[in-house]
Amino acid sequence: MGSLFSPRANRSFREASVLAAAILLIVPLALWAFARTPAATGQYRAYAQPVPFAHTLHANGLRIDCRYCHAGATTAAMAGLPPTDVCVPCHLDGLLRSSLFTPVRTSLTTSRPVAWRRVTRLADFVFFNHAAHVQHGVECDTCHGPVELMSEVYQAAPLTMEWCLQCHRAPERYINLRDTGISGWKRTDVARSQATVRHYDVARLTSCTTCHR
Amino acid sequence: MSAQVLVAPPDLPVTTAGDREIVEAVLAPLRTTPPLWWVLFAICAAGTVLWLGAVVYTVAAGIGVWGNNIPVAWAFAIVNFVWWIGIGHAGTFISAFLMLLNQPWRAAVSRIAESMTLIAVAIAGTFPLLHLGRPWFFYWLTPYPSTMGVWPNFKSALAWDVAAVVSYFIVSTTFFYLGAIPDLALARDGLQGRRRRQVYGVFALGWNGAGTQWRRRRAALKIIAGIVAALVVSVHSIVSLDFSIAQLAGWHSTNLPPYFVIGAVYSGVAMVLVLVVPIRRLYRLESIITLDHLDKLARLLLTIGLLLTYCYVVEFVIASRSSDPLERTTYLQHWPFGYFGWLFWLMLVFNVGTPQLLWSARLRRTPAVLAGAGVAILAGMWLERFIIVVASLAQGALPSSWFAYRPTWVDWSILAGSLSLFGLVFLLFLRFVPAAATDELRRDRFERAARVQR
Amino acid sequence: MSVPFDEMRNRLGADTTGSTIDPIARRDFMKLLGASLALAGVDGCTRMPASNIHPYVHQPELTPGIAQHYATVMAVDGYATGLLVESHEGRPTKIEGNPDHPASLGATGVLEQASVLQLYDPDRARRIRHDAASASWDALAALLGPESLASRAGARGGGLALLLAPTSSPLEEEVLHRVLERYPDAHLCFYAPLMPALPAHVTQWSVGDADVILAVDTDFLASGPFHLRHARAFAGRRRPESAPGGMNRLYVVESSISVTGMGADHRHAVRPRDISSLLERLLAAIAGESRPSSPDDQWLNVVAADLRAHAGRSLVIAGPLTPPAVQTLALAINQALGNIDRTIWFTRSPLAGAGGSNPSLSSIADRMRGGDITTLICAGVNASYASEGRMELGAAIRRVPEAVYLGLYEDETARDCHWIVPAAHYLESWGDARAYDGTLSVVQPLIEPLAGGRTLVELLSLLLGDAHVSPYDLLRDTWRARGDLARRHAFEDDWRDVLRRGLLPGSGFPRESAPPSPSPIAAAMPATAPFDVVFRPHPRVRDGAFANSGWLQELPDPVTTVTWENVAQVSAATAQRLALTTGDLVDIRVEGRSVQLPAVVVGGHADDTATITFGHGRTGAESVARGAGANVYPLWPGDRFSRDVTVSRASGSRQLAITQPHRSLDGSAAVQSIDAGAHAVARPDTARPLPLYRAPSTGDTPSRLQWAMTIDLSACTGCGACMVACQAENNVPVVGRDQVLLGREMHWLRIDWYAQPDAATTPQPMLCQHCEAAPCEYVCPVEATVHSQDGLNEMVYNRCVGTRFCSNNCPYKVRRFNWFDFNAGGGSERLVRNPDVTVRERGVMEKCTFCVQRIREAEIHARAEGQALRGSEVQTACEQACPTQAILFGSLDERDSAMMHARVSERAYAVLDELGTVPRVRYLARVRNPNPALESRA
Repeated sequence: MGSLFSPRANRSFREASVLAAAILLIVPLALWAFARTPAATGQYRAYAQPVPFAHTLHANGLRIDCRYCHAGATTAAMAGLPPTDVCVPCHLDGLLRSSLFTPVRTSLTTSRPVAWRRVTRLADFVFFNHAAHVQHGVECDTCHGPVELMSEVYQAAPLTMEWCLQCHRAPERYINLRDTGISGWKRTDVARSQATVRHYDVARLTSCTTCHR
Repeated sequence: MSAQVLVAPPDLPVTTAGDREIVEAVLAPLRTTPPLWWVLFAICAAGTVLWLGAVVYTVAAGIGVWGNNIPVAWAFAIVNFVWWIGIGHAGTFISAFLMLLNQPWRAAVSRIAESMTLIAVAIAGTFPLLHLGRPWFFYWLTPYPSTMGVWPNFKSALAWDVAAVVSYFIVSTTFFYLGAIPDLALARDGLQGRRRRQVYGVFALGWNGAGTQWRRRRAALKIIAGIVAALVVSVHSIVSLDFSIAQLAGWHSTNLPPYFVIGAVYSGVAMVLVLVVPIRRLYRLESIITLDHLDKLARLLLTIGLLLTYCYVVEFVIASRSSDPLERTTYLQHWPFGYFGWLFWLMLVFNVGTPQLLWSARLRRTPAVLAGAGVAILAGMWLERFIIVVASLAQGALPSSWFAYRPTWVDWSILAGSLSLFGLVFLLFLRFVPAAATDELRRDRFERAARVQR
Repeated sequence: MSVPFDEMRNRLGADTTGSTIDPIARRDFMKLLGASLALAGVDGCTRMPASNIHPYVHQPELTPGIAQHYATVMAVDGYATGLLVESHEGRPTKIEGNPDHPASLGATGVLEQASVLQLYDPDRARRIRHDAASASWDALAALLGPESLASRAGARGGGLALLLAPTSSPLEEEVLHRVLERYPDAHLCFYAPLMPALPAHVTQWSVGDADVILAVDTDFLASGPFHLRHARAFAGRRRPESAPGGMNRLYVVESSISVTGMGADHRHAVRPRDISSLLERLLAAIAGESRPSSPDDQWLNVVAADLRAHAGRSLVIAGPLTPPAVQTLALAINQALGNIDRTIWFTRSPLAGAGGSNPSLSSIADRMRGGDITTLICAGVNASYASEGRMELGAAIRRVPEAVYLGLYEDETARDCHWIVPAAHYLESWGDARAYDGTLSVVQPLIEPLAGGRTLVELLSLLLGDAHVSPYDLLRDTWRARGDLARRHAFEDDWRDVLRRGLLPGSGFPRESAPPSPSPIAAAMPATAPFDVVFRPHPRVRDGAFANSGWLQELPDPVTTVTWENVAQVSAATAQRLALTTGDLVDIRVEGRSVQLPAVVVGGHADDTATITFGHGRTGAESVARGAGANVYPLWPGDRFSRDVTVSRASGSRQLAITQPHRSLDGSAAVQSIDAGAHAVARPDTARPLPLYRAPSTGDTPSRLQWAMTIDLSACTGCGACMVACQAENNVPVVGRDQVLLGREMHWLRIDWYAQPDAATTPQPMLCQHCEAAPCEYVCPVEATVHSQDGLNEMVYNRCVGTRFCSNNCPYKVRRFNWFDFNAGGGSERLVRNPDVTVRERGVMEKCTFCVQRIREAEIHARAEGQALRGSEVQTACEQACPTQAILFGSLDERDSAMMHARVSERAYAVLDELGTVPRVRYLARVRNPNPALESRA
């Protein structure tokens, strides 16, 4: 009777074993890496909005303070989006009549809200409070990025818990003295930030219920 | 068939006709399948389907389909887990310990015991998983760098559990596989059919019975045996810590670890008996698994039974002297006379009463009796875990929170189903893996012959 | 709510302007509900589907994300209780008491707390119906308009009947007045099953001034008008450290068991038929002419002596449902003791038509049956269900050609009427109401009617030919016309002030001279019948009007801890005689009508007497109430005693959804009580087990604020308001009867009842103890429950994988598990959820968090204001609701707070201290004040 295995059998068996070992090693590493990519975190994801609102023009060009539209930022948990009628004072009727403003006009006439797409989304069990941050030296751009330069607003940060904790565990590395008002987009030196931490008396807020309630 | 298959371990003389008998007896089940095998297989398959259904239903609907409640947040699933893990002890205990203690008689049953171990531990592993409220997040129990920037709680025994059980499973598998290689080689060379032989060939890892292979295998087995022996003790100790680190009266006790290990081996040996007795009938292995072997197992069972009885005594003596009123009432009132009192007494009858039969040499050599005793003790050990887990929880520190527990059909289905699953896999093992270590058997036979000559 | 009250009041000032805007603009609030829901966190899962944000079109005076509070009142049987309602973007989510209001004093009862869920009840009537078909308001206007009404009911309205719930609203009274002016022969009947009569005067008690109280068959601490106020005053005299004039003593004489009775120093169970004779003998004993014959009399003499010793500072209270004879005797005894105008006095009744000739319901029923009623308007009372069975009111109503029903639900009465008009919930209505003492308040809406509901005023206006009246304008007109506002400033200012405060200060009625004391009449009791049946409102769903509230159905009955149904309570001796055990069915037969109920054997119940409760066995279109329990109204003989009563063991038994099967302490030191001998405070009985472990080192406490709670068992009555408040604040789900049977109720805060050897039963609110060395924390494999820097035992739902080890290791068993996805699905009732609290997913553990959402909000607010937060500025939901201020919350660093004073009191102890868990919740031992004379006998 012929031999059971071909001469190459041993070799291919060894190769197979090595391959198996490699897979066992690589798969977890791949997963670990993927979880941190924008594909998984949604970082840099932008949405087409019903109204082509240009932050570049309003925030950068006209230097309109963020709070003019996002009025809740300093007082409430939600920064809030502007009521439709906020657009009206500045924009002349002529402008409003342009097709770009159709959703705004319909909103005003039917008094149904404009349906903006949510760009920066936290899980429902995360209770983020804008006032608590903005009031204590966290600039808008620390989390939202250079919105004034975004033609289409995108999610600037990965928004993973790890990312939140970077700051909550070491606030002095991130918070900034509010000198130029909310819309000052300057990263300042650490020594100054440490002074700021003392100034606002920011604690290392790492209790779970700081964000999860 | 080529002669090399019968090449004996270097320390044995050339093979004899008796050796051939042994090999033939061990390979026989792989050649022919008795009709009864198919019957049992069908039954177990049906039970497994039930198990699958119950599991899917649980995951889909939620743990609420079980009978658990507050205060009894742990019940059947945990009881079953501990019970199966316990059963998963005998195999390695018999193989490893007895190997280290040079007990040649173990050869006849070691393979069966080891495979039983693997299957039992694997099944046990399903319960903690199934038991989670959100099983899809089970991996949060393992330490890995998550984007949440948090780690498991290394203070919790549940986190240790994962490590303990997994490592025990891996090492036991290795031990089992190393032991089986020469017999797989026998199958490779002794069976018909090219495909079939190739499969065995792959698993035999090119075993050719060279002296060096025998020596290295023996060395490796000795080393792993040492490790497994340690694990046998560690695994169930850690499982017991799931309870003894708690403050709950009935759980919070430092003598739980040894007590659990003893109980585990107890149920394991019982399961071995329950399996061995029918198998030797089914496959005519009476010549291999002799009454002497059964007698030895029975003695082992009796010894451990007495040890366990001692543990019970110690536990209750300590409890009765405790300065914790809750501990006193739990052991002296709630367990024996509480919601599940009758189960408590039933447990004592099974675990303490049954082994007493084995003082009689005649009964020790009556297979049916041994199988029966095995079943009784398995039931008893299951009840013991039920009393510890459920009875302690049901009547806790605040009388206002006392609440009884009643299992649902899902609980029963999963328990029965897990038994079927065990049977199913075990039957497959019998069908495809040589059920005994021929080399050990041959050494055993040779040494006995040598003793006779002297 | 986390800010000091004056500050909140100021905030209210701003808010109320928001509430006076043109109601049409309120519609915008509705549009937000969608958005608010998205913010409410309806699932706990990490997948984040793309979603939209819907900002306002025209933003009202509010900032999204900041809750507002409005003042309003809720009326029960016509009597108002002042409330402050929390509203998120126009969505009312939580009821609190109005500290300025005499009926609330800042507290709330179970009904007020649960009323917000009723607002969103998906079962509410949603459309005007004429028989099967939908109808329009105008069609109804045509039907009830003057010409068609006159043609049908006669020019003087002889064929018109108005069957209304009692009301104290001057507005409704005014409109009714106009209706009656127009239709002088119309039959107006005020009916409430629990209010036998409408006397011209009501009795006021000063519970706080009474040293000795004898309560006769009344639950004055837990139900009835002003019970919150009475409970507060009573509890004030149960704290020996602070009680002005020392502790009071409470004697209770009752047949069935009440919350008040369970807390009595001495309780005497008497068959209802014997109560009046007992009071007669007591009166005699007080007058000093009595000869001890029975042990009863011996007891009586001791009580009489005690009462006499405190003449003028004692109080005898007879329940509203006791027969007139008993009430008269109680009054006579008070007079004999000289309590009149001291601890008890009289005022005008705030109810409309009080003292007038209110026709009996049966007379109206006869007219309807006789066919001379052609138009019936029934509003606010489910009369077909909640009336004596022999009256067969439903059949009578069906005889009326045009019967119009204004109600929240399509209930039994709705089925008997041709026309159904959805009623506006009080949180949707403009109106007014008076408190028990006459204090006048405005009912202010927080939201547009969700189901297009109408108020009674709108309906009655149809009779006057006014189809589109604005209740808001009408209200302001009547108030302006009445002129009791425009005293100090312009009407607008005063009006705003009233809206802001939630009441018109000083509008309470003055004391009236005592009505002529009627001579004690011999009570007309029937000859001895083998059995008595006592009919009582259910302690939770009351007369049935609240039966469709899952919160109330699942709130355990204080006496039996039975949920989701009603039972027949009998004494142990009676049970023995009938060969009964708890759960066995009994057949109760009164005058030929019978109903089967499961029996519950309770200690301390009068023998040969069964207590059964109203409110269950509903057959209307309310999905929650339907199928829960059995209806006992058919047996009800009204305010008569019935001779023809039989109670017998029926075949079969039923498993009851009891939350606490085991009521005895079994040697546990969980509740501790001490006797206030000579009003001196002793340490709690030191039969406490010694600590088993070395005091654990609980680590450093990085935060200044360290949260803690005390619960005074001496003040707690066990009313259960805290449980519902917690449920409302923390989105605690309702699980239903089947799950309660399996021991899976979800209440974060439960009330344990321990029957003690001295027969007094002690309630113990049990919630997460926030142990400094918490057993739950170290056993969780995923750090889902950990300790915060400010001493909270945190529960992180989104990290929990559900091993449930924490619950096993919790000696207090206060942790709850989501066995199923209890929060899945659901209709409009989801709108009641608190957006500041995560809604928990299936498979996770949950428990009391000390209302951490309130703590964090307060911290953030304080830091924004740049001031240090004081612990006493944060109130937990249970603390805020508690009528007796038994629950106190605060921080350990605030040494002079009420909580810290209680914490260091000699009565303070920790439950299961011996386990070394170092709980942050401390209990204050119950203080009993027994009469030595009776103790020695016992």
